[in-house]
This record gives sequence, structure tokens and C-alpha cells, in this order.
Amino acid sequence: MDRAKCGYTRNRAADRSLVRTLTTAALVLLAAALPARAPAQARLKVLATLPDLWAITRALVGDLGDVQVATRPGQNPHDLEIRPSQILLVKRAEILVRNGLDEDAWIDPVIESSGNPRLLRGAPSVVEAVRGVDVLKVRTGPVDRSLGDVHPGGNPHFTLDPGTLPVVTANIVAGLGRLRPDLVERLEQNRRRFLDEVAAATRRWIEALAPHRGAGVVSYHDSWPYFYRAFGLEEVGVIEDRPGVPPSPQHLAGLIRQMRERRVKVVLVESWYPTDTPAAVARAAGARVLVIPQSPGAVKGTETYIAHLDAVIGALSRALAE
Amino acid sequence: MPRPARRLFTMLVIVVLSCIAPLGFALADDADALRRELQQLREQLATLTQSYEQRLKVLGNRLEQLERGRAPAPASAAGTAATPAVSTPTAATEAGLAPDVPTLADLARPRQPFALAQPGRVLLFDIGVGGDFVADVTSATRERRHDGTFAGRENRLFPREVELGLFGRVDPYASAVVRISAGEEPAGVEPSSRELDVRLDEANVTLLSLPLGTTARFGLMRPRFGTLNTVHQDDLPQVDRPNVLTRFFGEEGLDGERGVEAFWVLPLSTYHELALGVFDGDNEVAFGRGSLRDPLVLGRWRTFWELDEHGLQLDVSAATGFTSDDHRNTVVGVGAKYKWIATGSGFPVFTLAGEALAGFRRADAAAGETGDRRFERWGGYLYGQYDLDRRWAVGLRGDWTELPVARGREWALSPYVQFKPSEFLRFRVQYKHTEGRGAVERTADELFLQGSFILGAHPTERF
Repeated sequence: MDRAKCGYTRNRAADRSLVRTLTTAALVLLAAALPARAPAQARLKVLATLPDLWAITRALVGDLGDVQVATRPGQNPHDLEIRPSQILLVKRAEILVRNGLDEDAWIDPVIESSGNPRLLRGAPSVVEAVRGVDVLKVRTGPVDRSLGDVHPGGNPHFTLDPGTLPVVTANIVAGLGRLRPDLVERLEQNRRRFLDEVAAATRRWIEALAPHRGAGVVSYHDSWPYFYRAFGLEEVGVIEDRPGVPPSPQHLAGLIRQMRERRVKVVLVESWYPTDTPAAVARAAGARVLVIPQSPGAVKGTETYIAHLDAVIGALSRALAE
Repeated sequence: MPRPARRLFTMLVIVVLSCIAPLGFALADDADALRRELQQLREQLATLTQSYEQRLKVLGNRLEQLERGRAPAPASAAGTAATPAVSTPTAATEAGLAPDVPTLADLARPRQPFALAQPGRVLLFDIGVGGDFVADVTSATRERRHDGTFAGRENRLFPREVELGLFGRVDPYASAVVRISAGEEPAGVEPSSRELDVRLDEANVTLLSLPLGTTARFGLMRPRFGTLNTVHQDDLPQVDRPNVLTRFFGEEGLDGERGVEAFWVLPLSTYHELALGVFDGDNEVAFGRGSLRDPLVLGRWRTFWELDEHGLQLDVSAATGFTSDDHRNTVVGVGAKYKWIATGSGFPVFTLAGEALAGFRRADAAAGETGDRRFERWGGYLYGQYDLDRRWAVGLRGDWTELPVARGREWALSPYVQFKPSEFLRFRVQYKHTEGRGAVERTADELFLQGSFILGAHPTERF
């Protein structure tokens, strides 16, 4: 009994000390959190989830603000793990540009951990770039994991077709304009200039690939349907027939047969995928592997949208000409 | 007419009338029934016509909106225009909002299992099922003494945790998660008494739009303490939880706490996250007081630095509360995790992580002594893992820990190999050698086999 009483007295004294400590800690935390409500800077603070959206948004924002990207260029967005540094990027941003077809669905838990409710899905400060784009490969039947790590809403790599940019850039400018109506005119000017540059580059790209129009191409991942559509190439097959799942030998055997029949010369491999299986397939089919970055910035000097597609199309046209 | 003939005629008339009369009544009944059926058919036709007109009106509205290039109005709004009470099944069906009642043919048709998406059907939250099966192969002595890593389940393949997770947004300002799990309980006195323990693991709401950049959650949760304690069983880097966590908090770590927790990401140039939580204290091993009058209070600071392919996370945590026998217990933890990820393909990946816990606890003194005694004990673990590619990884973990109260300590070494055929399926083989002294005196050699799967939605991996 004495022991219990003694312990009780000591515990209560410790409790009071603990409550004081906790109250102090809470006040310190609140004081530290207060600067988060500082008034918005004059410059736009934009976060893009993926490098292609980052490159496009940078061209639109120009010197009106800072555009950050939540993934490192050259990093596979399908295998992404959440890092605290991404939470910090989300916390600082005023507006978020996201793909809209769940290629960047990992950003949702990042936003929920950031304490920045302005970037929650559905908020006015969130731009879904895909709105209004003619999406390819939308699944029409039941979708489950037997199909691999699929995107039920359709193929998300739409920015590889320059023809989608008028819609994508309009979405982004509209989103930025909602936040900063005073900048709409300048953003629209930037947009028109960017689209003019892309149109001129597109004429150059079409000319470069014109001799190979209708050529069959195989890729490792299903990243290129919009690109094929834009430049008149034909998709003969995809090595990774179910995203995220290594291909079966039966699938590869069938693909190699098709490649021989169609005289496929090139197997495209995005720079973040292993090349051993594509190399074996290409060897068996008499083709060559072409490792190319699927998004801007993965290779030095390709940080802009146009520089990236210049690099891709230059490498592809050379490979098809061999 | 002679009298007999008249009598006979009369009788014939009576017989004939008695036969015809019921027939007449029956005909009259039939006519009434037919009239009623006709009336019912008319009413049904009118209802159907009205229903189809409403459906056509809703579809017309949607078509008009689509033609104007706008997203279709929310179904509830469209339904409200047609029928005021869309919440009742009949009204919802009439407005074309709910699936039709299945016919016998529908029920007889082969059906698909749960699918992530089906055209025209929308699930407003995510559902995921995770299965985690473990086999613990060890000696007969360990099995007899029930002192293996998975006590009471030695030399068995058992479902450690099969979990149903429901998660999604409650409204624009909050998200919620509910996890229900089932796992095999350790054997009791009778080996045949094994049962599946089904329980509510988590049920909490996160408030996302609080002032001052605060995020808070309340309910039943796994609190933000330490590095590995926040990780669910099926996401652990090895088959078993490190010894120091199981000795200080029990097999599942500090889990299943009821309370409220708030966290902040500080507006600084580098990442600093602070978390503070107040809980009932329902952990039987460390904080079993179970009352808000003597709450379990938790705090954690976490920071992160990233430079190109290198990432380093540090955390410091503290938890203080009362044990079930009303003694103060405080546990302090320090953790670090370093990861190197190759540029380009993202593989190979090298991870080095460790954590140390120190416990400051009061407990009943030994027999013959008065008052209580103070125990200061500590332990830790360190592991390294090398992911060769997406599918294969190898690793090694070392454990050393004292027991929180009893006299004794143990160390262990656990090499392991991991194989992931896809993102949703994982197999592990792990060998564990344990040497214990004092109250846990033993030498144990165990081989763990683990198979885990994810069905449906799954959360993104974290650093």
C-alpha cells in the first residue's frame, strides 16, 4: 500500500512537469508553423508532378514564377516511392499541374501529408492537364491486376504528341489564371509563342521521320502510342505486354515472329528500364535496341520540350535509316 | 299437364338453376378480376411511361451538357431534378442512377471478381486486400517451449495478417482509412485451439484543411513513433519486426492506439516534420493504462536530406505513459535511414537503416523490498539491403536488445533474400540465429518463409 501511494505521488508530480513541457512544445510548434501563412509572393510557385509537364509549364510561366518538379528527370514515375522532400515541394507550391490519368497518383498521399489543402484533388489550384485530350487505349472491359499495373483511364503519355499541346497548355494557363488573373494576358502571350515554336519544330520532326512513315516499331513499355500517331509510325507490339509484369516467353516468341514478318528495325527502350530482355528480343528479330529518354531532362541538354523531342526524333530517324 | 309431369318439370328447373347460378356468380367474379388486372396493368404502364420519360429527361440533360463540352452534372443533381427523393432505391432506379434489380438470368451468368474499374460504375473509395503468410521452421525444442520468434506458431505456415483496407476521401476536407485484419493466434494450452483473431486494426479520419498548415487525425491508428514502428506488418523490410520493437512494444509494435495526433511540416528550407499525439494507452506490453486521465503522449521529429541519388532520414521520438500496473514508462527512440538509388533505371538500390530505443520504466520491486524500481534498458537494430533490380534483393539485419524489465538480453543475425515477381506479389526467405541470456536464455535457429500479396488498390511506397 505504501509503495502504491509513494508511486502515485511521484507520478502526479511528474505529470504536472510533463503537462508543462507539452504545453511549451505545442506553443513552439504553433509559432514555428505561423510563417506558413505569410502572404503569397508576387511570383508564381508552381509544382508539376512529372518532367514533361514541368518542361511545358516552364515554357508557359517563363519569368513569371518558379516551376518545380516532384520527380527527378529520368526517374521512372511508375516505380516511385514517396520522399519527404516531395512533401516539402508540395507544401511550398501554390498550384499543382498533374497528369490526370493516375500516372502521378502517388502525389495524393504526399499532398495529404503536406498540410497544404490548396493542392488537394478537386481544388481550384489543381490543373489536370489531360482534360479535353483525345485519350488513347481507354480500357473498355473489366480491369483488374491480371492486366498488370494498368491505367484504367487510358494511356497517360499524351504529351509525346505535339498535337495535344494546344489543349494541355490551355488547361495549364486556365489553372494559373484562376490563381493569378492579373497574369493571364502574359501567360497567354507565352503560350502563343510556345505553340508557334512547337508548330515550327513539329514541321521539322515530321520531315525528319517522313521517309519512315508507316514503319513498324516495338517498345519495352507502352509509352509511345501518341508519338506513333503524331508521326505516322506503327506500333507492332510492346515487350512488357502487362505493365509492371515481366513478359512471358510465349508473348516474346509471338512478338519476335511478328517483328520478323514486319521487318521491324527498332526496339525503343525508355532509359529507366533494363535492356537485357529488349536486347534479346531485338537480336532474335534482327532489330536494334534504341535507349531513349521518355521525358525531358533525363539527358543533359534535353530539359525543354522541344530539345527533348529533337533528341528522341533525331535518334529514332537515324536508327530507322540504318 | 298431369301432376307428376309438372312436379318432374319443376324439379328439372330447380336442378338446372342450381347448376347455372354458381356459374353466373363465377363469371361475374372473373369479370371483376379481369377489370382489376386491367386497372393494375394500366397503372404499371403509366408508372413505366413516367419512369422512362424521367430517364430520357436525365439522359437528355446529360447529352446536352456533354455537347456543350462540360462534364456531366453529378448524378444526384440530375436525379433531384427528376425525382425529389433520390435517396430511396425506387426513385434512384427511376432516375437511372442505381443498377437494375438482377434477373435470374443475370444471377446465373458467370460474374467477374472484384475489378478496379468497370465502365459506367464508380467506386468512391479504394479497396485493397493484403495477405501475409509466414512459415517459421525451427527445432522441436523451440516448438515445445513456444519461444521462437513467432511464439506458439513454430513449425507452422500461418496467416500472420490478412487485411482488408478501405481508404479514400470523406469529403473535400478529410480522408479516412479503415483496416480490418485477421491473423492466427498463438497456440494455447491445447495445440488444436488455434483460432483466427479478427480485429479492427485502424479506423481513423485525417483532417486536411486545418489552420496553420496542421494535419490531424483521430481514431484508432498506428501512431507516428520511430522509424519502423509506423510500417505495417506486410510492408516490413524483413519477415519479422526487429527484436527491440517486439521486446519493448509486443509482436506488432506500438499499434492500435486510440487517440488524436497532429503533425506539421515546418516552413523551413529543409524538411522538418513534427508530430504530437495523445492516446488512451492500450499497448499491453508498454503502456496499458488505457485511460485519458493517464494518457500515452507521443512526439516525433523527423528530418530528411536529399542530394542527387542519396537520401538520408533521421528521426527522434519519445513516448511516455503508464503501464497497466500504474507505473510511469518512457521510451525514447533515435532512427536513421540512408538510401542510395542509382540514376537512370532506379536500380540497384542500397539501403542502410538502424534504430535504437531506450526505456526508462518503473516496475514493482523484487519480493521483500518496498517501493518500486527504476529500469533503464535499451536495444537496437541495423540492417542493410541491396536491391539488385526490381525483382531481387538481399539483406542482413543485426539485433541487440535488453529486456525492458526482466534481467536478460539477446542478439540475432538475419540474412534474407527477397523476390518480387511483380509489384503485388513478394516472397522472402530469411534465416535467423538468436542467442539469448538471462530470462530469455536460449539458442534458436529459425528459417522463415514468407509470401505476401496485394489485391486491388495499394498505397504508394514511402522512403
